[in-house]
Amino acid sequence: MTERRELPGGATLYALESHAVPLVSITIATRTGCALDPVGRDGLLRIALRMLRRGADGLSSADIEDTIDRLGAELAIDVGSSVTTLYGQVISRNVDAFVSLLCRLLSSPTVDEAELARLLRETRAEILEARDNDRSLAERAFRRAVFAGHPYGRSSRGTQSTLEGISRHEVAQSLATHFVRGNLVLAVAGDVSVERAARLAERIVMSVPQGSSTPDVTPEPAPVQGRRLVFVDKPDRSQTQIVIGGLGTSPHDADHSALLVGNAVFGGTFTARLMKEVRSKRGWSYGASSRLNIDRARHSFSMWTFPGATDAAPCVALELDLLQKWTQGGITAREHAFVSKYLVRSFAFDIDTASKRVHQLLDEDVLGLMPGYYGDYTERVLSTKLEEINAAIQARISPRDLTIAVVGTASTSFNAVRDACGELASATTVAFDAD
Amino acid sequence: MNREQIVTRVNAALASQACAVTYLGSHVFGDTAVQRYRLTNGLQVLLLVDKSAPVVSYSTWFSVGSRHETPGKTGLAHFFEHLMFNETSNLGAGEFDRKLEESGAESNAATWFDWTYYYEALPKDRLGLAVKLESDRMAHLVLREPQVTSEREVVTNERRFRVEDDVEGSANEELYKLAFTVHPYHWPTIGWMKDIEAYTPEDCREFYATYYAPNNATLVVVGDFSEPSLLEKISKAYGALTAAKIPHEDTHPEPPQTEERRVVLSKPTPTEKLLIGYRGPALGDVDHAPLSVLAEVLFAGRASRLYRSLVVRDETVTDLRGWVSTFRDPGLFEMYFTLRDGSDSRSVLAELDAEIARVATAVVTDDELERAKARLELSTLQGLETASGKAEQIGFYETVLGDPSGVHRRLEAIRRVTPSDVRTAARKALVPTSRTIVVVKPESGGAS
Repeated sequence: MTERRELPGGATLYALESHAVPLVSITIATRTGCALDPVGRDGLLRIALRMLRRGADGLSSADIEDTIDRLGAELAIDVGSSVTTLYGQVISRNVDAFVSLLCRLLSSPTVDEAELARLLRETRAEILEARDNDRSLAERAFRRAVFAGHPYGRSSRGTQSTLEGISRHEVAQSLATHFVRGNLVLAVAGDVSVERAARLAERIVMSVPQGSSTPDVTPEPAPVQGRRLVFVDKPDRSQTQIVIGGLGTSPHDADHSALLVGNAVFGGTFTARLMKEVRSKRGWSYGASSRLNIDRARHSFSMWTFPGATDAAPCVALELDLLQKWTQGGITAREHAFVSKYLVRSFAFDIDTASKRVHQLLDEDVLGLMPGYYGDYTERVLSTKLEEINAAIQARISPRDLTIAVVGTASTSFNAVRDACGELASATTVAFDAD
Repeated sequence: MNREQIVTRVNAALASQACAVTYLGSHVFGDTAVQRYRLTNGLQVLLLVDKSAPVVSYSTWFSVGSRHETPGKTGLAHFFEHLMFNETSNLGAGEFDRKLEESGAESNAATWFDWTYYYEALPKDRLGLAVKLESDRMAHLVLREPQVTSEREVVTNERRFRVEDDVEGSANEELYKLAFTVHPYHWPTIGWMKDIEAYTPEDCREFYATYYAPNNATLVVVGDFSEPSLLEKISKAYGALTAAKIPHEDTHPEPPQTEERRVVLSKPTPTEKLLIGYRGPALGDVDHAPLSVLAEVLFAGRASRLYRSLVVRDETVTDLRGWVSTFRDPGLFEMYFTLRDGSDSRSVLAELDAEIARVATAVVTDDELERAKARLELSTLQGLETASGKAEQIGFYETVLGDPSGVHRRLEAIRRVTPSDVRTAARKALVPTSRTIVVVKPESGGAS
């Protein structure tokens, strides 16, 4: 059973002991994310986190990397709009030494000028390299269009221009803003007792300054009016990447759970409507799915397919038609019964490791989800009525107000795709190598 | 009840001894053990009870992969990874997935050069469904024109996704095509596009009849279940299936490579990519563990030698990776470099050559060895966190090496590696005349 402990300075710990494998996972999350990056400085927080392992407390970047490897550990970062996570895992015999290292990284980051300059050059090279990934190009175009002018539309990685000239002072300031005791939520799971986990977590918390969390002032995003096509032009594509959608759900909506169930019928499983129509019946795309992203404020609903270039236009038309039918007609009682069984029974795989179990509670905490968001999930699914689901789909998903982001070769696919979109408020083409 | 008693009880309940189960012994697996059984028709069954979560992983490993295909029919093994989710004579189209999803199960499959495997992860009370569905599709798959046509479309799209429109995928395909000339590792597991487009139902029926048989398969079940009850279900469901005459494999060993091979491709990519494949050992070869350690020393993590020289010091590379293929037959020691804008593959290759010369001369340090071993231990343990992870390791090592505990034996071998083992293995494998190089150049001359 996961235990919740209060830590000094307002931090919180979730801990769970499990001896399934001799590993310990340690997550240090902040209740703030890159939405706090200053305007024009997209990517700052991610740079600040990466700088943690580039020098601290007399240790050079090389010393830190040597130590992580020698301990049989890994350390990863994840920067979201509202939450930042440092995730570590270590062979359990070395957990004390690993925590000592984490404390040194957090307490005294060097933020060396030369290391920072090197990291910025490295990151700019990675951004350039990301142009090879058509799916991420499609997702970026979609996110920018759906959340234009909103923090959710910004990139946690940054762009070539926003990284330009990030200073040592800005990095230090960013770390000081996010890594204060009152802003931390920790999770420790695995081959360690809860008591020992609490002592380790306390050491980590005491390594950062006192301070309280910065309130999240992210506004509710405004819906985009009408249908908009954003075509990302890339040469020599035999295939397209297509992301279609708009605003979705907020975890605070009364109909949030109902919409999650409705989406599972539409595109959340291998036998869902999208997969059945796009892949099974027509063979147009290897994958076809829909998803609802969850954050503190309302986030996106999106469909994803990747048909061959010649099937792109009919695939877009089919997806729009399926979306129209889903929002107008809702789901059937049979589909509801089926997907409820799936969602309830498959929940076993959301909690089959100690790390997964403890992270659910951490997510509830840092994202401000209602208590029991995960723990009572199966009960909520079972108690959701068909009419609630269909009302939620109709209220939240608008087939009129959609962003259609496509990566493909414009000379061969643009016109046909545009014609398949129905009435468009706008249709734009952007180069795949634009910043 | 001991295993002999379990088998006696299971066999006593059978209508026919043609489905009888034999207990073949146990294999130590960490601090527990995998139990091995065999049905009369040759089906191997490996069971590991693990009650750490209320779930079960059920996988079926077939000893058939792309190495068993013939030129003109490449990709058939992978094609079955799709066909097997279709109609059987007992189940309509789509019913396989529907029944599993209704039970909250996850299912998928994978194909590689040496094997194909199918798995289900189920809540523990739904295990019987996996037994029923897997035994059914092992023998009763419907292979007619509509099924083949529909999946052919899906697989051509999968190939576009993984190869045609993917820079690394297409370059990797080229590397193996060039490195292997007579061994079937020459062609990609997904198959050549022209072969995929030409599959007929007859091709599929023949392949199915040849390789999808109980005596060519191993069931691996890991999780929270009762061994006697599961064995009874398995023997009843699979016992009546007929063994096939599995053809003797007709594989030609790849002759030694005596000169460097090189190809330059042009792709719409912002920067150069460099792929190198040195002839590497088979997974079961004594040099595999030392070379895996060397791959860590040279490529893995930010403390590795080449990361420090190429990414940190020279700033000529964005990303680099190196690993030794885990195949039944000798494969490749693969290396992959993503160059920075304006950098040239010649300078990267020169740095690699200098580093290879160094490892062939001076031994790696104790500190490097310790770090490499710790990294490999961590990744091994991470692979054993879930029931599905354990099942995958058991099935993989059983199918490739005939040893379900191979993952632990490999970890022991890695712990025994000495600096001189690494040097000797490097001297043997990292020979310039036995390497193949693929350079990918940006089509328009680069990003800037």
